[in-house]
Amino acid sequence: MGKQSTDVSINKPLGNKKPKKSKLYKKESRAALIFILSPVVGYLIFTLYPFLYSIYASFTTWNGLGFQEWNGLGNYVSLLTDDYFHKSLFNTLYMMIGIPIGLILSLLLAMGLNRRIPGTTTFRVIYYVPVISSLAAISVLWQWAYNGDYGLVNQFLGYLGIDGPNWLQNKNTVKPALVIMTIWKGLGMSMLLYLAALQSVPKMYYEAADLDGANAFQRFRHITWPMVKPVTFFLVITNIIGGAQMFTEINIMTPTGGPEYSSATVVFYIWQKAFTNLQMGYASAMSVVLGLIIFIVTLIQFRLNDKSSFEM
Amino acid sequence: MQSIIHKMGANELFKRSFRLVAVVLMISVMLLSACSGGGGNASSDGGAKTKDGKKQLEFMFRGSTEEEAAYKKVIDQFEADHEDVEVKLNTIPADNYATKLKAAITGKKIPDVFYIAPGEVRAYANSKVLLDLTEHVENSDAINLDNMWEYGFDSFRYDGETQGAGSIYALPKDVGPFALGYNKTMLEKAGVPLPDKDKPMTWDEFIKAAQAVTKDTDGDGEIDQFGTGFNVNWVLQAFVWSNGGDWLDETQTKVTVDTPEFAEALQFFADQQNVYKVTPSIEDAQTLDTYQRWLRGQLAFFPVGPWDVATFDKELDFEYDLIPYPAGKTGEPATWIGTLGIAVSASTEYPDLATELAEYLSASEEGQKALVDAHVQIPNLKDMAAEWAADTSTTPANKQEFLDIVQDYGRALPANNTYNGEWYDYFFTNIQPVLDGDKTAAEYVKEVQPKMQEYLDNAIQLEKQSSGN
Repeated sequence: MGKQSTDVSINKPLGNKKPKKSKLYKKESRAALIFILSPVVGYLIFTLYPFLYSIYASFTTWNGLGFQEWNGLGNYVSLLTDDYFHKSLFNTLYMMIGIPIGLILSLLLAMGLNRRIPGTTTFRVIYYVPVISSLAAISVLWQWAYNGDYGLVNQFLGYLGIDGPNWLQNKNTVKPALVIMTIWKGLGMSMLLYLAALQSVPKMYYEAADLDGANAFQRFRHITWPMVKPVTFFLVITNIIGGAQMFTEINIMTPTGGPEYSSATVVFYIWQKAFTNLQMGYASAMSVVLGLIIFIVTLIQFRLNDKSSFEM
Repeated sequence: MQSIIHKMGANELFKRSFRLVAVVLMISVMLLSACSGGGGNASSDGGAKTKDGKKQLEFMFRGSTEEEAAYKKVIDQFEADHEDVEVKLNTIPADNYATKLKAAITGKKIPDVFYIAPGEVRAYANSKVLLDLTEHVENSDAINLDNMWEYGFDSFRYDGETQGAGSIYALPKDVGPFALGYNKTMLEKAGVPLPDKDKPMTWDEFIKAAQAVTKDTDGDGEIDQFGTGFNVNWVLQAFVWSNGGDWLDETQTKVTVDTPEFAEALQFFADQQNVYKVTPSIEDAQTLDTYQRWLRGQLAFFPVGPWDVATFDKELDFEYDLIPYPAGKTGEPATWIGTLGIAVSASTEYPDLATELAEYLSASEEGQKALVDAHVQIPNLKDMAAEWAADTSTTPANKQEFLDIVQDYGRALPANNTYNGEWYDYFFTNIQPVLDGDKTAAEYVKEVQPKMQEYLDNAIQLEKQSSGN
């Protein structure tokens, strides 16, 4: 390595004189610069600037209309004793139990649909439809499905002789109801990614395992699972980030945050504070805390993944 | 040797990337200031002028398609009267409206004309978002204050201290009295005497009538016809106020939900379900459900707003009419009046034109006629309203009840006149156990009062801070 670079230096003209560059080189590098510039500028304006500004705003009493005054750590101190903030944090975490359930289901589905049986394409489409549908439309749909009187869910339960609750109006059932919906919504996406991962597993591994007399579970445990692990990792991270930002479903299905605030997520609470109660500064402080939490969780996951992954 | 070259390389690299970063930063800053600068409306999309050189006014709107059609007519009229002006109607879905408007204000791209709720007047006026329309209104030929509902204007008056007096910050889009309707066909069938439109029922009478109709009509063992099914968020006010209770004291700085009158009214509300059993079962508090039941003719009493009339004309296969809400201790009926204001941005480039547009939308005879014909609101003009109410051939026959509410006994919703509504929302967020009968009203109001007071104090504090600047 060191030798190589000395070699290069011999070919380089000494002193401060720059090597003359061709016109084509200049032209292309200019074009490259413009290509690079557009996303970078976009990032600076639409991500970095708001990001930094919200950190600044979190130390102020900004009301979102113009008034803004330095408030030091005031917002953060209030967060410590804000019951609604704690409740919404808890709700957000609670609703993340849908993530492992959804992953297991989608892996099972993917494995099922990976077999050469007739009708797989149809099923793939069916499971993928919710993914491409608008979240708002889906929320309205499920709101009706969960309706206590005329809802599809309770009608179905009725056939089984179960008297279903009024899902979204009951503080004990509203969160599970939302979890079920998010699992259903996310299933297709995870399934598709798992399917792609499954199809890229070389057949020879399974053949070798067969020869060694491995049973189905062993094949799954030692071949399939490790091979799809990067996808699992990716899905866990994106799902956690997405789950922490859950908002649309809540806003549409339980516009007041549910009975006794039992379905309000952190982002819902942030939105309420910022846009209906004129406390943009306080909302910014919550966003910063939420951002930190997501950052830390993701960091931990990366560490864990590094530790347990192995080279194939 | 090697290290020197490396250093040079690094130096060079550093210099180049520094230059790049500087350029990027500069471009960003320029773009940013272009976005947020100007302080005016529509300045970033090439000035508030259209391609053919007309002055452009933006009107940010939310509402039903019927309303939109009616306002389009008004806007056409306005454009015909002002040939050099083009109005851009920006329709926003109702659930996004508040967010969009706040974002527009934060981004300093405020539409020239937009709706605001009465609860927003204080904060917006203090932040100088709204143009003071008083002078224009008082000198206008198009607006005759005597011929328009006081409530509509008073909701958007603010003198820097209290709301309801002082400068006018918005013109009323409409006033929305929340009346009580009853299913005439059902009561007649059940042999219950029809309620008197001029004399409110007592609570006992109301319960008696409701109990008389609550029954199983098709003999399948399940009750399928009920007295009522009110949504606590929108109907509790009528009971509390007519019983002498209220959410706030006169100074609007003290939460007074912990009075015996208040608790009694809330208990009565919950008892309709738990004791008198005149409503659909305990789990069916969703408005959707009771609204659907009313449409299907399963409820005897249900609230009716002017915005419901068009739908009820189409959907109901029974006769209904309006009456005052049953009266509590005070013997007087009570209910609330909703309203929305049409405000003009303080930073509009064409204040006179924008104000005039607001005036057309609020008070033009043609516009009001179109809205009334669409059966979505009561007229803003008193003379037109009187004529409209006198016509008993259209349903509901007792439209006069709407006007009585606006003129005599309707009130503003409690959170309309406070800096924000957090304190008020808290009351309803946690009310479910009372409605389910798991907690008495007296316990509940004692329990929530301190927390509500805390939220209200906080709102007052925030308002003081922001208006002191």
